[in-house]
Amino acid sequence: MSKKKAQGTNLLYQLIGEARSYDDVIIMGRGDPDFDTPAHIVAAAKNAMVNHHADYTPPEGLLALREAIAERVKRVNNIDVDPVTEVVVTNGGQEALFLMVLAVLSPGDEMIVPEPNYNTYADSLAFAGGVKVEVQTYAETDFRADPADVAAAITDRSRALLLVSPNNPAASVISPPDMQAMLDIAISKDLIILADDIYDLFVYDDFEHVSPASLPGGKERTLTLNALSKAYSMTGWRLGWIVGPADMMARVKELKAAISGGASVISQHAGIAALTGPQDAVEMMAEAYRRRRRLVLDALDAMGMKYGLPQGGQFVFADIGFTGMDSGEVAQRILTEQHVLAYPGSAFSKDRKDYLRMTFLQPEDQLIEGLERMKVAMLNMMAER
Amino acid sequence: MASQTKAEILARHDANAALKTPLPGQITRHAKDLGADGVFSPLDERIIAAASEALEAGQTHYVDVPGIEPLREAIADYLNTSFSAPCQSGNIIVTAGLQESRFLTIQKIGENFDSIGIPAVAHPGLQKALGVRARNVVSLAVDPHRGYLPALDAIADAVAGGCRLLYLESPSRLSGAAYTSDEVAAIGQLLGESGASAIWDQGLAPWVEGGCRSLASTEESPAQVTAIGEAFPGMGLASWFIGYIAAPDDQIPAMQSQKQIMAICTSTAAQYAALEASSLFPAAHPPRLAQLKRLKSYIAESARDLNLDAIAGDALNIIALQASGGAAAKLRAAGFDCADGADFGAPAVIRLNVNTTTAEALQALR
Repeated sequence: MSKKKAQGTNLLYQLIGEARSYDDVIIMGRGDPDFDTPAHIVAAAKNAMVNHHADYTPPEGLLALREAIAERVKRVNNIDVDPVTEVVVTNGGQEALFLMVLAVLSPGDEMIVPEPNYNTYADSLAFAGGVKVEVQTYAETDFRADPADVAAAITDRSRALLLVSPNNPAASVISPPDMQAMLDIAISKDLIILADDIYDLFVYDDFEHVSPASLPGGKERTLTLNALSKAYSMTGWRLGWIVGPADMMARVKELKAAISGGASVISQHAGIAALTGPQDAVEMMAEAYRRRRRLVLDALDAMGMKYGLPQGGQFVFADIGFTGMDSGEVAQRILTEQHVLAYPGSAFSKDRKDYLRMTFLQPEDQLIEGLERMKVAMLNMMAER
Repeated sequence: MASQTKAEILARHDANAALKTPLPGQITRHAKDLGADGVFSPLDERIIAAASEALEAGQTHYVDVPGIEPLREAIADYLNTSFSAPCQSGNIIVTAGLQESRFLTIQKIGENFDSIGIPAVAHPGLQKALGVRARNVVSLAVDPHRGYLPALDAIADAVAGGCRLLYLESPSRLSGAAYTSDEVAAIGQLLGESGASAIWDQGLAPWVEGGCRSLASTEESPAQVTAIGEAFPGMGLASWFIGYIAAPDDQIPAMQSQKQIMAICTSTAAQYAALEASSLFPAAHPPRLAQLKRLKSYIAESARDLNLDAIAGDALNIIALQASGGAAAKLRAAGFDCADGADFGAPAVIRLNVNTTTAEALQALR
């Protein structure tokens, strides 16, 4: 009996499962930082177990955490929100993403999505019965989403515009003028913006992140998600949030209660410590990612590989078209033959079968070793052509 | 300029009564909060130590979507031991609480069926989960004299009418009444004969003295039942939100895939805490149950003295009362919270948590 070929999210999890079976695997696929959660956050969680384990938490989260989130989005994103009515705590960025899509899209509604994009948006959209309308971006322009292309994709069924900046997997950052143009389009065409800011602290060189909700006229039509997973190395705690206008957030809150109820109270207390405590560890990790990004790009340059310059994020989207093989097959062979996990572009977009997403979330010696092994695998593939 | 798109979204939301169904408290907020169906308990120091040790050892990263393997094994063992439910760790998905279990099972198993039969009186979280994405619902008439459980005839009628997926609670989340062993066997036989499936909320079963039979244990339909519940209740983890789904092999992939889409995994700290709780539960639970039995007996006696009509229920952690309209408001005026039967579909009922202030609350209903 032939085995059904996994696609999208399922393909990634299939690769993760195989990667676990190799003792010497180097993970350059999953977006899980190698750093453990900073000690002061773990200590706060321990304190919460002793003193707050039974705290009542409403579905929207502890008020103290929502206040910390409101302060954070004001300080970092320049978005003003009322912690009482305009913040909902979620089980990680992933649940926030799912809730945002459900909050806005109904069956048949279209969402404009610059491609490539994080595969779970398509899964969530499918659950909601919505329709993805893709806007292509290109490596030659570092995967810039062109507002003119977005405008051209809008139909009378369009209800939402997804803006992920920095983008996952292409790592492009929407420039301030482009973001203003995107908002202008959303206003003129009456679209709701779903903004994914999860990599907002990881922007490189002279690139600048701007949240659409921070622009005049942006907040009332924008839901913005973020999470502690990437910046604080807290992937296992499952803690994220959505902020937006009170009327829309009332709907998000009901959806949150319907899907899972509140977030784990211990994670929430850890989140308060993360957002209100010392930020040295965040800067230390961000600096490490800057170094690693440079290291990976230098190695790819030395290998003669093309890529869109990662303006932000924690990964590189590299062109493996020279192998002449589908990225799913390339990722599978790199994993099986060389025990290196990288994500195939085909899992993010059907049009990106000649790309791999490589994260730089491992120590530098591991990254060097991983890239060397990838090179061996790809040379083997080319020799077979 | 006002957004017409937003206005349309909000209008649809306003029209979605199911999604806006009020929920009783999931967790006890204060001493006079009698609305939750969990049991307030201190957290054992060994649980704190185990969870802290895991975190300090670097268990702060993503884990497997269905949960860490030792916890899945512990839950499977618990279900085998307590419910004679034949399952392995591969049949278990660890969830971020009972509501996530409800949502995943209703929405994903429900995709395979034209309709879902649900009790006319059930936990409002059920309606809420259905409100996210509407499904065809067949209402199962309940018997007020059997603790508002759906009558077997009503279940049979729904199945005869073509409904092939049922959602049932035993014990009832409102009254605590549980199906008898014979009734469960009869339901199992009906499912087996008709090829129907069931989602079986057995979350309150640990609070029944001597336990109660799970539909997942019936020999007639072992492959057709998905059981859900809270993991190791009463161990002080209520606000950590940790639940389970125990499903047949062929049901797991779709729910696991949806779980990864929704949340990637359940909080690692909560999972390691629950793992430690699993080893303490067998010794810690019986004395807690004995204490609840004494308390509930005293509360029931107080209710009789006050001419209040308590509904017979097997679960020792809750007590439901027939009450005229406004009973919930009377309790609130006296500083007590309760679960309002109206939110469950039974307007003339209130449900109270069994604890040391419950008898005092009854005075407000005189």
